[in-house]
Amino acid sequence: MAARPALTRALPHLTSTVLSRSSQYQTSLRSISSLSPLSRTFSTTLPSLDANASTSTSSKPPTPDYAIPDPSRPTHFGFQTVTESEKREKVARVFTSVAEAYDRMNDLMSFGWHRVWKDHFVRTLNPGFSPLTAGPDPRGPQQILDIAGGTGDIAFRMLHTAHVVNRNPDVRVIMSDINRAMLTVGKHRSESLPASQQAALSFLEANAEDLTKARPLVPYPPADPASEEKPFFDPTTATTSIPDNSIDLYTVAFGIRNFSNIPAALREAYRVLKPGGVFACLEFSKADKHPLFNAVYKEWSFRAIPLIGQLVAADRDSYQYLVESIERFPSQEEFRDMILDAGFVIAGEGYEDLTGGVAAIHKGMKPRT
Amino acid sequence: MPPAPLPSTTMASRHLLRSLAMCSPTTTQAALLSTTRSLVPATPSPRSPLKSDKTLIQTPSTAAPKSTTIRSYHSTTHPPPPPPFTPTEQLLLSAALKHVPTHGWTAESLALGARDTGHLDISPAVLADGEFGLVRWWLWSQREGLKERVKALEKELERLGVEERVEVITWERLKGNVEGGIVGRWQEALALMALPSYLPHSLKELALLADEIIYLAGDKSVDPSWYTKRASLSAIYAGTELFQTTDTSLDQRETRAFLRRRLDEARQVGGAVRNVTEWVGFTGAAVVNILRSKGVRI
Repeated sequence: MAARPALTRALPHLTSTVLSRSSQYQTSLRSISSLSPLSRTFSTTLPSLDANASTSTSSKPPTPDYAIPDPSRPTHFGFQTVTESEKREKVARVFTSVAEAYDRMNDLMSFGWHRVWKDHFVRTLNPGFSPLTAGPDPRGPQQILDIAGGTGDIAFRMLHTAHVVNRNPDVRVIMSDINRAMLTVGKHRSESLPASQQAALSFLEANAEDLTKARPLVPYPPADPASEEKPFFDPTTATTSIPDNSIDLYTVAFGIRNFSNIPAALREAYRVLKPGGVFACLEFSKADKHPLFNAVYKEWSFRAIPLIGQLVAADRDSYQYLVESIERFPSQEEFRDMILDAGFVIAGEGYEDLTGGVAAIHKGMKPRT
Repeated sequence: MPPAPLPSTTMASRHLLRSLAMCSPTTTQAALLSTTRSLVPATPSPRSPLKSDKTLIQTPSTAAPKSTTIRSYHSTTHPPPPPPFTPTEQLLLSAALKHVPTHGWTAESLALGARDTGHLDISPAVLADGEFGLVRWWLWSQREGLKERVKALEKELERLGVEERVEVITWERLKGNVEGGIVGRWQEALALMALPSYLPHSLKELALLADEIIYLAGDKSVDPSWYTKRASLSAIYAGTELFQTTDTSLDQRETRAFLRRRLDEARQVGGAVRNVTEWVGFTGAAVVNILRSKGVRI
């Protein structure tokens, strides 16, 4: 059974204490991570608390090698090591196969709790809030880009907060995903929204690592079953692009973990954001601060989730990948340092733990130069 | 260089403490209790060596500091800890504070502040705790500013005793509320601070303020009154601040009088408690001695 070796690999993590992890686990982790672009040593200091941090970020350093997408560079797909281009294909296959059952599965796996996280995420961002001033904002409508927007959970909440809570219809939301099947599900779901909200919504096929190439959504599966279109976005068919300094708020919820090259995606986010624009990321993270809770959580994710996937979505491997990719995602502090490395500035710790660290919200702002 | 409670610094200072056995209230507490309780009244300890005022300990730190925001002691030999706010937060929050007198502790003030500094309406979303962050910033900046205010009053304070100095410095802090123009908005901030999720931080901030005031007043006591003084000043400060929000008298004279009355009461109660403890201790010892003289084996 595929789950067995995966669980044994993860188990030392549970059985050993937080302070002293078993050396076996550490060496195996090291051997995997030495291949990955995430193997850079992360500083444990808070660079942004240093007074120099704000000045050093104002002049943008040249893009380091690890942040330039390279289809042949090794990265990880769950606990496997694959190249970046292979990962892109494999992730595309995973999400194409789960697209229909995605929302139902989320509810089952998290006991519906993912809704609480998403609500909190959108509420703290407060999109569309505008101080009461005469006339419309001279700077134009607020542009929100929801990357890995998939089935629209975040985008629809953004629209609701902006239109209903903040009573500001002057907001545009772009839902973007590399996977056309997921985005098509989102488009179908959006048809039940009020017309004013639908008018503020647009759908874009794009790879988050290179937003200069994009295309408005062409639904998948195509009307003509004979055509050999791929379920994921092909950059050669690009017709449009997202310009520099054009976005107010860039969000990515439960998506960045699946990217082939996270540093490249963070730099692309930096490029498209306006100065003062906010990058916000909701993602699974590490709960190791609470060892007992973490043990229960790991049991649940490695034993129950693939099983639920098998029973409900008839797709064990996709959900096996899901839990493995969560395990491989960097910790809160490491990911925070990656955000700083891309040029963003942060406030406070730079992240907020949700449910003891099972998920975390990371935020960064593109500084005004 | 970063500063703050680096592990080595903390270790070094802790070591210093142990060796001095003088500065930490916890290390000396037991010894003082057992021997010279009545000899160590609220007045500055006569035995305090010169070094003890350099490390008037607030809380002995037990674990390595998790973040640089922990301030575990007052020190004149170490650089002050870095502010618990990143430069981004300082920029956005200080700009937003200018709008608080008009718009209160709201997202409105944050967004207007962001516009003033050339940011976007969405920029304050990067702040960790939104409106409460604004309150935190106000409390922290006022507490940090107290040092400068006291420095300006140095000549006046020299003539006064510790208790009068506490009153003057507390009044300086309360004047900050008036000068910042936020007195009319302070009840809103108190409502935010009383929310269950923010209450621990609010109480900690109050304790830090009381500690700062007593430290600046030059109090060097190292006995159990270290705690009672800070606790009673915290209560008095919180009460006076609440009184201040409804005070319409000229120059807030009523608030000043209120503060003086509360401090006097604390002094009287403190004296009474001390007298009662002394009497109970003496009587108890006398009873034991009488019984012993009658042949009771105690």
